[in-house]
Amino acid sequence: MKLLIVEDEVKTADYLRDGLAEQGWAVDVARDGMSGLHLARELDYDVIVLDVMLPGMDGFAVLRELRTRKQTPVIMLTARDRIDDRVHGLGAGADDYLVKPFSFIELLARLQALVRRGRQQEPTELAVGDLQINLIARRAFRDGVRLDLTGKEFALLALLAQRRSQILSKTVIAAQVWDINFDSNTNVVEVAIKRLRTKIDGPFRSKLLHTVRGMGYVLEVREDEREGSASGRSPA
Amino acid sequence: MTWLSIAQRLAAMFALAALLVFALVGVVLHQVLRDQIVRYQHAELSTKLRSVAHSVAMCDSPERWRKVQDKIENLTTSERNTRFWAWSESADFRLGADRALPVRTGNARDYGMGTLDRPGMTSPYRTLEQIVPAYGQRPPVRLWIGIDSQPYVAALRTFALAFVALALVGTALVALLGHWIARVGLRPLQRLSSQARTLSPSNLSQRLRTEQLPPELGHLGGAFNGALDRLEAAYTRLDAFNADVAHELRTPLANLMGQTQVALSRPREAAQLEEVLQSNLEELERMRGIVNDMLFLSRADQGDIALDRACVPLAAEVAKTGEFLEYLLEEAGMRLRIDGAADAWIDSALFRRAMTNLLHNAVQHGTPGSEIVVELATGRSPGEARVAVRNRGQTVAAEHLGRMFDRFYRADAAREHRGERHHGLGLSIVKAIAVLHGGAVFADSGDGVTTVGFSLAEPAALRA
Repeated sequence: MKLLIVEDEVKTADYLRDGLAEQGWAVDVARDGMSGLHLARELDYDVIVLDVMLPGMDGFAVLRELRTRKQTPVIMLTARDRIDDRVHGLGAGADDYLVKPFSFIELLARLQALVRRGRQQEPTELAVGDLQINLIARRAFRDGVRLDLTGKEFALLALLAQRRSQILSKTVIAAQVWDINFDSNTNVVEVAIKRLRTKIDGPFRSKLLHTVRGMGYVLEVREDEREGSASGRSPA
Repeated sequence: MTWLSIAQRLAAMFALAALLVFALVGVVLHQVLRDQIVRYQHAELSTKLRSVAHSVAMCDSPERWRKVQDKIENLTTSERNTRFWAWSESADFRLGADRALPVRTGNARDYGMGTLDRPGMTSPYRTLEQIVPAYGQRPPVRLWIGIDSQPYVAALRTFALAFVALALVGTALVALLGHWIARVGLRPLQRLSSQARTLSPSNLSQRLRTEQLPPELGHLGGAFNGALDRLEAAYTRLDAFNADVAHELRTPLANLMGQTQVALSRPREAAQLEEVLQSNLEELERMRGIVNDMLFLSRADQGDIALDRACVPLAAEVAKTGEFLEYLLEEAGMRLRIDGAADAWIDSALFRRAMTNLLHNAVQHGTPGSEIVVELATGRSPGEARVAVRNRGQTVAAEHLGRMFDRFYRADAAREHRGERHHGLGLSIVKAIAVLHGGAVFADSGDGVTTVGFSLAEPAALRA
């Protein structure tokens, strides 16, 4: 996956580059609008992360120029979240919009969603280790044993399984499972994860549902835990 | 362009009014005077004409005609401003005219008088005519009397000129006096504005003195003082708000700095550093929550949030929020009941946000195992609605009740509820959302039952 970051804030650009590179992206960085536009036109990126406030040529202008030639997906970053900025950005052809301060995993989720868009259909059968999920029949099995899940628990499990090995923030989970699109300041997601964990991991030796403290939750098979050793990422 | 001062405007308007009055009076006086003059002319002419006509009527021969001529000669003034003419078939009975005089007859207002132009003179003769029937040798005689109108025309013109001059001088005087009066009358306004100039931001409780003002300005002063009251309240609130924000952010900042400094003070294991980073992230998330909520409130204050309103049944929205909080309700052993039904124009996302905060509040403060009731009621007009959340729990004291929607306000100083962190903006967000929907918030508590809720109004655009 090739990705271009156009951002003049050195610290922001650097941590984004390092973080995304670690997640397996091939990252280029442009520090101003002109060079960003040049790179975006000359090379083929899967997605572009574009800051609005740039020296010389601002993000909106870069986007306008780019859209005359290419339809590369663009996520815009801004410190301002006034409605007209949002409308302006999306109207100018941005595919998504993130307001600073945003969480890194939120950006990651959006990037993956943009790249995933237009790909082949999601499978109806998912498997994570010995956990099997049938999205059509809405049933889940672990080690061949049917798990007794409520509707919301199944929706939560399906979301985590579809994005397996991705850290999902509480905000994303609340939005996807309950259609609650704001920071609710409640611990609903923690409680829901705790219940789901009891059902899918409780009786089994290897744990699949992990808490990443301060960031969110991830469903994946971890070798070290299969061996039973605790790590810094142990469930809270 | 620069606008005229109030005194100048008033002076100009007074002058215009005076000019109009003068013009009206002038025109009427001129008409009356002219009418009087015509009447006087008519009276004089008809007296003289009657007397001469009588003599002519008695005359039956050319001899007697000479006597008539003498009499006419006597009546004719030396300046010849009154003249007689007579004409008949017979040349013996004529006077001054060798043929019938071409007299233009006047209109009804001139009492039947005519005019006769005098060659070389600007003003004509005013004339009356009479036909005296035949008598003896004398055929019928046509008799005219004419009076020179020159003095009358001159008098009228002098009057008109004098009046115009008077009107202009009068108008100028009225303008000057008007300006002076207006300036004197507006002196309280000047005093008021010089008072307003002395108001300074360093003393917010300063007000204008309105006791000695005339009533019109008294209202203005009162309204202005009212605005100052509101500004002072808003300013004080903002001041307190800033202090709260700083205080609220100071705790996580102190944690971040302290923990990081401790971690860096000596070499650490990777696991220890990871622990510090995770803890820092939690503090940062907490700060992000505060900043985002504050931004939301500030944008709501500025009316900068576009509402995407639709008319929906509120019960369904409340049920959805209840579903989200289901696990929390279950943990507290509480049940949610929705009473009544109402449809209202709402932005669903914002409504759910308000409902989440209200219900969460009720879960945290309610007695475990009790029931939370959401009462929905329609308002006075369609599209209006009231949402009230009622829970059992400790009665909230009246002094807290009024302030619970204030930003960062907490009734209990201990800021944690059942292990959850709170920054005291939840109910202010409910209030902001209610206000965005044209509604208001309310709270009531007594006998262990607390009711908190908000109202919704129909959008103004739909009422219009």
